[in-house]
Amino acid sequence: MQSKTRKISSLAIAGAFAASVAAVGATPVVAADDMVKCYGIAKKGENDCKAGPGTSCSGTSSVDYQGNAWKLVKKGTCGQVSTPAGKGSLTCLTTRPSGQNYQCG
Amino acid sequence: MSQLSEIQTGFARAVLNAKDPVPEGVESHLRTKPLKRFGVYRNNVYVSLVSVLEGRFPVVARLLGEDFFKATARVFVEQNPPNSPVLMRYGGQFPEFLEIFEPVADLPWLGDVARLEWAWNLAYHAADREPVGSEALAAIDPSTAASLHAEFHPAVQLIRSVYPVVTIWSENSKDGEPDHIDAGAGGEDGLIVRPGIAVEVRHLPLGGAAFIAALTKGKTLGEAAEAAFEEDTAFDLQANIAGLIASGAIAELRAG
Amino acid sequence: MNRIQPHTGSSPIPARAGVGFKPEHFGEILEGRPDVGWFEVHAENYMGDGGAPHHYLSAIREHYPLSVHGVGLSIGADAELDKEHLVALKRVCDRYEPGLVSEHLAWSTHDGVYLNDLLPVPYSSETLARVCEHIEQVQDVLGRRMLLENPSTYIKFESSEMSELEFLRAIVSRTGCGLLLDVNNVHVSATNHAYDATAYLDAFPYEHVGEIHLGGHAEDEGDDGEPLLIDDHASAVADIVWGLYDRTIARCGPVPTLIEWDNDVPAWDKLKDEAARANAILSKTSVRHVAAE
Repeated sequence: MQSKTRKISSLAIAGAFAASVAAVGATPVVAADDMVKCYGIAKKGENDCKAGPGTSCSGTSSVDYQGNAWKLVKKGTCGQVSTPAGKGSLTCLTTRPSGQNYQCG
Repeated sequence: MSQLSEIQTGFARAVLNAKDPVPEGVESHLRTKPLKRFGVYRNNVYVSLVSVLEGRFPVVARLLGEDFFKATARVFVEQNPPNSPVLMRYGGQFPEFLEIFEPVADLPWLGDVARLEWAWNLAYHAADREPVGSEALAAIDPSTAASLHAEFHPAVQLIRSVYPVVTIWSENSKDGEPDHIDAGAGGEDGLIVRPGIAVEVRHLPLGGAAFIAALTKGKTLGEAAEAAFEEDTAFDLQANIAGLIASGAIAELRAG
Repeated sequence: MNRIQPHTGSSPIPARAGVGFKPEHFGEILEGRPDVGWFEVHAENYMGDGGAPHHYLSAIREHYPLSVHGVGLSIGADAELDKEHLVALKRVCDRYEPGLVSEHLAWSTHDGVYLNDLLPVPYSSETLARVCEHIEQVQDVLGRRMLLENPSTYIKFESSEMSELEFLRAIVSRTGCGLLLDVNNVHVSATNHAYDATAYLDAFPYEHVGEIHLGGHAEDEGDDGEPLLIDDHASAVADIVWGLYDRTIARCGPVPTLIEWDNDVPAWDKLKDEAARANAILSKTSVRHVAAE
């Protein structure tokens, strides 16, 4: 394989770095609406700033769900994910689709 | 052992183990060892901790459905009760638990989805820091770029998976029915950033994770680029540097 | 003179209604700046390094006095206090300079396991010694007086040697701490253990009360079909609790009063209405009855 001996020249890195800085340059990293988004104005499910419930100093009247996970049927959206037989392997890493570029998930 | 210590040892054990009898010395005004009343404490502990996990792993909860998730989380709580009153730190072992929990063995990618959600939580509470700004970048002489070291923002988390974990997460984080996803279509890497206070999950391009991992280990930009090319010849150095900067993942770039 | 001295640098908590701060109300509070006397938060939710929670709370603190309410110190445990946790509490207090700091007469940590509930203690001389030791340690580390909250309980212990009131009075006289009187807890515990809430309140050492809590409860049944109330903070304050509160304020004068609503958190306006109801009662009297220094 070539890759072991391939050397990326400092010049190539300098070029890539300069081009990156120029491309990013004008865009502020923290978008102005970041704070607004986090004021809770965002639509339900789209708020990137709200964590789950925190601590409690109260009891609860809702009753513990003691269902049996060994017997229950999964009723969530996992059916939308088709899982291949057998576990995946690291070789998948080299066969991934390309073209993704720091897009928000 | 003091009497108080003895009482609390018995009480704690019986709260965690639903099959244990009500401890000696516990009473109501009408009877000794009132099971239903003692059950209020058991219920409080389990319901509150399961709900903490539900809030922390909303995508896992959605994938499994409410009842199945709660039953699963309950077993986790039983086996891994919290060891700190700071509950934002609770749930770090949930991904590994899901990987060995038999009832979800048919969903081998679930542990990695939980890992992403835990990383989201870490990023949410991570220390604040200003990402590297355009002035600092402009001051760097590009000819020295190959020997630069990157210091990442405290919130940055890298997720690598042999499953399309970012797609599964994002499809199930939005409103509406998720699209069909082929778990065998190949792995995905994710980068979690929080330049301000909003957490973002980004999908990494080919070689991106190897590049970031090398930089995290203290390698120079040049060495990290080599490592990324070695993993994937399609690695696009310029796009990756630009992506890291624009996403707010980098806090500082320092000369060797 | 009120014995509860404001901490240096902190804004004192006014004798008005305050509301438990929830991040979902952040936008409304910051934009509308509602006329709320103060806010209270659970200390443990602000023990992270950074991010949104601190961003929210710092902005709130800029405009309102703040009270810090700990829920995880496990003061009633026989075991030593978690020093790391106590230091974390101090860090929260140093950063936000709260006007009041409070914790519970309860335990929650045992053998390194955190049970996430406020568990009851037997009212014995042994527990008393332990609790007092812990409170003194907290007050030493924080460098200020703390308030201790009366619990809501569902069971009692055969080994109790004194009443809850005797126990609380002894703690106050030994440690010099103040009390946080949760009126809903009084109603819940009195119902659950079949004693008279009014008599309990009439005998309460009001001169040491630095704060009052008002929350909602749920109704259930005990093992013998008897009424069992659960302190769930998931609904409006019950009318019977408002009645007890009115009686309390008439006796002790205006005291900072928190509306606690932690589960099924309603829209902001609903909390504002609850606070207004407390303010109406608070404004009926102006004379604070406090102990002489």
